[in-house]
Amino acid sequence: MRNRAIFLLFCAICAIAIPGCGEPAKSIVLWHAYRGREESAIELLARRYEEQHPGVTVDLLSIPFDAYSSKLGAAIPRAHGPDLFIDANERLGVYLRDGLVAPVGDALPDAEVGAYDKTSVDAVTLGGVRYAVPLTNKCLALYVNDALVKSDPKSIEEISRLRASLPDDVYPLAYEAPNSFFHAPFLYAFGGRMLDDRGRFAFQGEAAAKSIDFVRDLTLARVVPVEPDGALVTRLFASGHAATAINGPWMMSELEGTVSYHVIPLPPIEAAASSSTHGEMKPLLTVEGVMLSPTGAEREEVRAFARYLAGEDSALLRAGLGQQVVARSDVWQNDLIASDLKLKAFHDAARAAVPMPTSPAMRAAWVPANQAIVKVLRGDAKSVDALEEAAARFADAMRPQPPPPSPAPLLVALGAILLGLAFYAVRRAQNPSFRVAVRKSMPAYRYVAHAAIVIFALVIVPLAAGALASFFAGTETHPLYVGMTNYVRILTARGGPLLGHGSFYLTLLVTVLWTLANVTLHVAIGLVLGVALSRPLLRFKAIYRVLLILPWAVPSYVTALAWKGMFHRQFGAVNAILKALGAEPVSWFSHFSTAFAANVATNVWLGFPFMMVVTLGALTSIPKDVLEAAEVDGATRLQRFFKVTLPLLKPTLLPAVVLGAVWTFNMFNVVFLVSGGEPDDSTDILVSDAYRWAFTRDAQYGYAAAYAVLIFFLLLGGTRLLGKVAGSEEGIT
Amino acid sequence: MTLPHEQLSTSVSVASASSEVSAPATAPKRKLRCSVRGAKKSFGQNPILRGVDLDIEEGAFAVLVGPSGCGKSTLLRLVAGLEELDEGTIHLGERDVTHAPPRDRDVAMVFQSYALYPHLSVRENLAFGLKLRKTSDKDIDERVREASKMLSLGELLDRMPKQLSGGQKQRVAMGRAIVRRPQIFLFDEPLSNLDAALRAEVRVEIRRNHDQLRATTLYVTHDQVEAMTLADTLWVMNGGVVEQKGTPLDVYERPRSEFVAGFLGSPQMNFFDAKLEKEGDRWLAIGEGARIAIGEERFGAALTEGRTVRAGVRPHDLVRAEEGQPIAGNLHVEIIEALGFEAIAHGWLTASGPRVIARLDADEARKAKSGDSIPLAVTPGSAHLFDPKTGLALDAK
Ligand SMILES: Nc1ncnc2c1ncn2[C@@H]1O[C@H](COP(=O)(O)OP(=O)(O)OP(=O)(O)O)[C@@H](O)[C@H]1O
Ligand SMILES: [Mg+2]
Repeated sequence: MRNRAIFLLFCAICAIAIPGCGEPAKSIVLWHAYRGREESAIELLARRYEEQHPGVTVDLLSIPFDAYSSKLGAAIPRAHGPDLFIDANERLGVYLRDGLVAPVGDALPDAEVGAYDKTSVDAVTLGGVRYAVPLTNKCLALYVNDALVKSDPKSIEEISRLRASLPDDVYPLAYEAPNSFFHAPFLYAFGGRMLDDRGRFAFQGEAAAKSIDFVRDLTLARVVPVEPDGALVTRLFASGHAATAINGPWMMSELEGTVSYHVIPLPPIEAAASSSTHGEMKPLLTVEGVMLSPTGAEREEVRAFARYLAGEDSALLRAGLGQQVVARSDVWQNDLIASDLKLKAFHDAARAAVPMPTSPAMRAAWVPANQAIVKVLRGDAKSVDALEEAAARFADAMRPQPPPPSPAPLLVALGAILLGLAFYAVRRAQNPSFRVAVRKSMPAYRYVAHAAIVIFALVIVPLAAGALASFFAGTETHPLYVGMTNYVRILTARGGPLLGHGSFYLTLLVTVLWTLANVTLHVAIGLVLGVALSRPLLRFKAIYRVLLILPWAVPSYVTALAWKGMFHRQFGAVNAILKALGAEPVSWFSHFSTAFAANVATNVWLGFPFMMVVTLGALTSIPKDVLEAAEVDGATRLQRFFKVTLPLLKPTLLPAVVLGAVWTFNMFNVVFLVSGGEPDDSTDILVSDAYRWAFTRDAQYGYAAAYAVLIFFLLLGGTRLLGKVAGSEEGIT
Repeated sequence: MTLPHEQLSTSVSVASASSEVSAPATAPKRKLRCSVRGAKKSFGQNPILRGVDLDIEEGAFAVLVGPSGCGKSTLLRLVAGLEELDEGTIHLGERDVTHAPPRDRDVAMVFQSYALYPHLSVRENLAFGLKLRKTSDKDIDERVREASKMLSLGELLDRMPKQLSGGQKQRVAMGRAIVRRPQIFLFDEPLSNLDAALRAEVRVEIRRNHDQLRATTLYVTHDQVEAMTLADTLWVMNGGVVEQKGTPLDVYERPRSEFVAGFLGSPQMNFFDAKLEKEGDRWLAIGEGARIAIGEERFGAALTEGRTVRAGVRPHDLVRAEEGQPIAGNLHVEIIEALGFEAIAHGWLTASGPRVIARLDADEARKAKSGDSIPLAVTPGSAHLFDPKTGLALDAK
């Protein structure tokens, strides 16, 4: 029995450790991230293809969107990825750099190019080579509420003139203004662009400034709501509180059964018209296509299947059943499809669209661009200044790595440490009493061995791998050894002022402030409630207990999102209450102090139940007669609390405080989801900053890993310090 | 050295006119330090105290005894202010403190568990109450020194409570009360957590301290010996009322009820269901194998022929009959507990009768063995009589 278990474990380890040791797959493996109707369509297509081609099997694997590209990046180089996968063109740059895609070859032969929309084919063509077969176009268009708008607006100005005739709580135009993806049409209308041809940040200069100023004026004139997110835009339009909305085809499914509307391509901006342009709004075009992995591209039947997926029959089905804006121009001649006016409007809009840049630099461009837009919309900065700052931040994130230093110092250091350890081990082993001790505790080691192995594999190894990663730059697939450079750059604030924007020290300061504020409030509120709940005469105690522990039972990101909504400037509950009380509404996320307070409020809500429960537990261990002795000795209720209860709670509370401090120090969820670093990354704490370096600033995993290592040592030091304080209190119990 | 009582005596006032304390006739009437009138207290539906009167004179040592659950601790906590009375009043000195919180009562209490502050050193434990009362540092120092000298706490002052033995903790708890120099000391079974030898030692110490301080004390205990040795006045409680009060010897020799008689004294008094009969000029209580001679002068008119009574004889008054002494009964010995200087014999007079305990000399104990039959005699005038219905003693007075 036990031997078999060990054998199975061994097999499992082999299966993980030795990639591709199984049988080579005969079937065609397709990965996608589709849901709902799109998924039904793709499944139906795969079954049809199997029927038409006996002997061929198609395995579909639906991967959650969030994990999609990281899974691809992990699986394809290790040869257990898909043969082909469906993804958006803007990822092509990264995939190409990492060697995850191959040219499509005869899946899209020159002869068939004419059947596709030209912009779509352009979008998947890099350096003259096609890397995907286009399936669908996704770009922004204008949703128009039939009841609120009589005739299709001919320009944005015409929409803004609706302000005069619409009721006060109905906005003429709703869209995610602070998001540069949604801002892009405005930018292109004024003749600007996001990246230049060489992948450099181009969201600056006069055109960019004008586009932001234009939007700011729309906001000030209450044409556009203040800082809406995607969910709010949908809600406003669906409830008839927005006459028009700029959004992609994905909003259609959420509008079913709400308002009556139609879709048209984005109208031009009159103010942007000049001698050279008519001020056309050009949305960014995302083209989803079938991409081939390097191994998949070598297989004839895989390429054939890709061609089939993009082909005419398939396109008809995907448009009809899947409600996709298919990227083939010929299909749109078909009356059945063309009669779906909404889909057709999106297809028309795609023709005027600008393909999304495929450069990896785009990933690092979004955040600075968003921040610049937000700053201007809030009136915190002039557009020119904000854009200049954005460009600087982009450059900072994209700064090229220095030439790799020699790995010798690290190797020498590592060698010295290992040598030292070996020397120590030998010395210990020679000690006879030590040997006896080891032999004696052999049975004990057997009992803890499995736990030790699991901890080693799940904790120590990832920790070491993370620490090792901090000596590298570049990507997962093309790591570049840089020695201590990451640390040096972090600790020198990347050459900027030590407490400048985004410097390690400033973020550390914010993090410490964040931890102190939270832990103090957690303990204070937890104590007060714990003591209140433990009063013997309190009625409905059980109910209060459950209610107060509830915040703890709700997943923290749900709470964080709910609180973020409550702090919304225009639609949030907090401002609604303030307004009802006659106070001025607060723009919570435009100042450090208020944004920080919003974060703290959320995290206090999440964190006090823990301290309360600890307090409740600790209170039961305080003997009643000691408190009575104090009472007889003449202590008032407050004196009893501060001079007896509190000191006696201390030994139990201290470890909880240490734990709470560590949790808070690393409380990524709240900071990321509530303020998201706003305003201007100033409320970011160390972990959320590290996350940004890894995931929004040109994938600097090594740099982020160095952050993580520094955080680890900071926490190690901090808890040791607190442990010392706690240790000196041990005399109590 | 200033003794606490000297300072305290300044705050003492003349006792109220209603003072009806039955002080020993020899002692002059003294001022009342604590008086509880008509105290009633229930927890939920359970009446715990059903109207208790309690008076303690200035400087007296009152001991409260009674079976477990009779409400001794409750009464003590009422005096301390840790519980609130349902009915009745409490006066300390001349002040009505019925509704005052503990800190306004100026009492000090020694808990059964000692209740030392675990996070404070011995010195801080002693000083805690004084600091709360904003006593000057100099005064605190002096009083702590005084108390630690009295209780030999000197070396322990800087230790933490968990570094102390049970007896040391107990002394610290007493010290904490002493430095306060309160109106009244309250002790709730302070010795019950100590082993027998230590208990005897501390008991003497408590008495010595009291003789030295003359501090008014209310002391709750379970322990017969403590009650008898410590008390100036003994208060026997049962079922939420005071059954009897008086000097320990008085209560021991003249128990007012069968309950008190049975409760005080160890081993317990023997009881027999009996009928009174006159044989010649002697009164006898006869029943359950016993013929017990009754002292006429003690019961007077209560003695009527044929009356059913409960007759009680303490084991120490039930001894082997000498030649020519009237036999009170024949003890069938079951077990002999040899205590060295004497022995306790357990057995019965008749198989259907109650278990009987008698005292034997050490010599006799050596000879006697289980299964023997020993003729017993009652020490003249030592028998108690109780009414079987009311349980009250039939004493003439
Ligand atoms: N807080 C309380 N709530 C409910 N009942 C109580 C409470 N305190 C005491 N009692 C009850 O009151 C009765 C008397 O309790 P008390 O502690 O006064 O007895 P005691 O004479 O001190 O007994 P012991 O000799 O065992 O200490 C007991 O039946 C006890 O269960
Ligand atoms: Mg008690």
